[in-house]
Amino acid sequence: MTPLVLALNLGLSFLGLTALCVSLPRHHGAVSAAVLALRRVVLLRLAGWTLIALSLLAAAALDGWNFGPVQWLGSLIGAGLMLIVALSYDPGAIRWLVLASVLGLVAAPAALLLDPSWRTESPEAGEEVPAPRHGGR
Amino acid sequence: MRHGFRQSMAWLHTWSGLIVGWVLFAVFVTGTASYYRAEISRWMQPELRREATIGPDALARAAELGVAHLQQHAAGARTWFIALPQPDRPLIDLFWRTKPGTPPGRAVLDARTGEPAALRETRGGDFFYRFHFELHLPPLWGRWIVGICAMIMLVALVSGVVTHRRIFADFFTLRRDKAAQRGWLDAHNVTGVLALPFHLMITYTGVVTLALIYMPWGVTVAYKGDQQAFFAESGQITQPRPAAGRPGALVPVGPMVREALATIPEPLERLTISHPRDAHATVVAVFEEPHGLSHEHPQIAFDGTSGAVLEVRRGGLQPAAKTFTTMVGLHEAHFAGPGLRLLFFLCGLMGSAMVATGLVLWTVARLPKEGRAPGLGWRLVHALNVGTVAGLPAAVAMMLLANRLLPAGLAGRAEWEVWAFFGTWLAVTLVALVPAPRRAWSGAMAFAAILFLAVAVADGLTTRALWDDPAWFLAFDAAMLALAAACALVARKVTRYVAPARGRRSPAEGRPMPAAQARTALQPVPAGREEAGRRFERA
Repeated sequence: MTPLVLALNLGLSFLGLTALCVSLPRHHGAVSAAVLALRRVVLLRLAGWTLIALSLLAAAALDGWNFGPVQWLGSLIGAGLMLIVALSYDPGAIRWLVLASVLGLVAAPAALLLDPSWRTESPEAGEEVPAPRHGGR
Repeated sequence: MRHGFRQSMAWLHTWSGLIVGWVLFAVFVTGTASYYRAEISRWMQPELRREATIGPDALARAAELGVAHLQQHAAGARTWFIALPQPDRPLIDLFWRTKPGTPPGRAVLDARTGEPAALRETRGGDFFYRFHFELHLPPLWGRWIVGICAMIMLVALVSGVVTHRRIFADFFTLRRDKAAQRGWLDAHNVTGVLALPFHLMITYTGVVTLALIYMPWGVTVAYKGDQQAFFAESGQITQPRPAAGRPGALVPVGPMVREALATIPEPLERLTISHPRDAHATVVAVFEEPHGLSHEHPQIAFDGTSGAVLEVRRGGLQPAAKTFTTMVGLHEAHFAGPGLRLLFFLCGLMGSAMVATGLVLWTVARLPKEGRAPGLGWRLVHALNVGTVAGLPAAVAMMLLANRLLPAGLAGRAEWEVWAFFGTWLAVTLVALVPAPRRAWSGAMAFAAILFLAVAVADGLTTRALWDDPAWFLAFDAAMLALAAACALVARKVTRYVAPARGRRSPAEGRPMPAAQARTALQPVPAGREEAGRRFERA
């Protein structure tokens, strides 16, 4: 569960959710002044759901079907929170976040290829040492 | 009169949420803090010096030092628990139970010398962890109350989903330029719906974790109430051995520790020694769980009088037991690395915010008409809201502050910290009754902000000399400053809030709000949303 996989998941989730979000008439104006035609709605929704599905597949492929779905849902929620806060407080920031996500998505596979250590199953060193649990629960 | 399914669900959601909301908020906040339990404990004992590694010899020696201390101070106990030193916490934590009804004993020893450790006395992160499911009450009472609240929370979650008409259309909607009630409802919906998978998971797995307390009848019938036998047969613990009734002598545990370490590659967490002075003394070595979703500690049981291995338990659970341990594992998220842990933490904050916004929404939707004094019920809910939503964070901050400011040698220091926590909580709740609602909110949140700021300042002033890793402590203090900033921001927003004037609704918003949606706001609104906002302002 490298930070890289998490970043990949966050990026895909953010792009997917943003596509779904701007496919809604209420939020379309946040990023574009163009008219929201039906064709565009369909395209955006298709792209949105595809990206979210890709995020699940990426999480499962890199972290396995045990951790993958947990990681996927976690990043989906995190990305959603980021999107809603941006939408509500500074819709202009969404463009920058989309740009950052795209750049991250381009960079992440490159980094993954360069660093094969993500294949190892072992937990990260120094991950977390839980405090002693006295007497069980 | 309430007609129809959705309205009755709205009613159920409102009232089920209200009656357990305050407890749930406390459970959510302390549970969220428990994701960083080890970090909080470390911060609260800055004298602690960590070690790079602790080898098998040091572990074996520490175990023997622990046993020596217990032989001397807890000879009559029926069970000893010896938490072994870890690199992050190179201490021997001792805990023993004598008999039901008498309080357990505790001691913390230095792992090298076996002498009581020279650390400030504190409950550390364990206080929040235990409060999360026991509320600092007698354990069974606390677990029952938290369990019932969690079950009602499930009711509130499901009825809330049914009540919410436009989950998908409003998924991304957080309107801040509208009336107060609209904004609160949006915030409640966003925090609830967005993290709904987390909320459902955490509530359900939370109930399942303690399900045997709430539904003991299966075990009562099949195992004659012997829960240990059930745990052993389902593969979660090693077979318990009843006392033989004859005295026996415990052989040195050091060789057992070495053998355990050679058998299982996980870090060794603790030894549990039952009936230490009986011929059937049993030493169980409990390991940290291997990396995985499931919460299963590998264990090895030794015969205490001969040192022979009785049983090695590692994996191999049946599907039902595996389901249970996986749910517990998901709830505790020990498997999560730093990034995923942060996401769990954020989800916990969103859960807290969902409960808090729901509670506030109740009062905002029922603001008394202009010129009328609020009724007793409204004032009660309001005071409990301020006391919980602002008072609990203030109490957490006060406890951390007490940790830094109370003299290190004070007798009963750990209890004083706990008193600081509850005293602050109670004080904020009582004081919240006095001023006008808006001043109560801004004042209480500002108080919490000042306390969190004071925590960071006090740490820097009093403890800087003790920091073994300044960057780590500075990062913790930065988190405290972030919490202070968040509280200050809320206080400022409450002070500066100006309700939008009536009729200024922007035409770009599109269609007017359908009447049905006002019902989604859970209750009929007495005199228009905008006006409600302005009344809140004047109140």
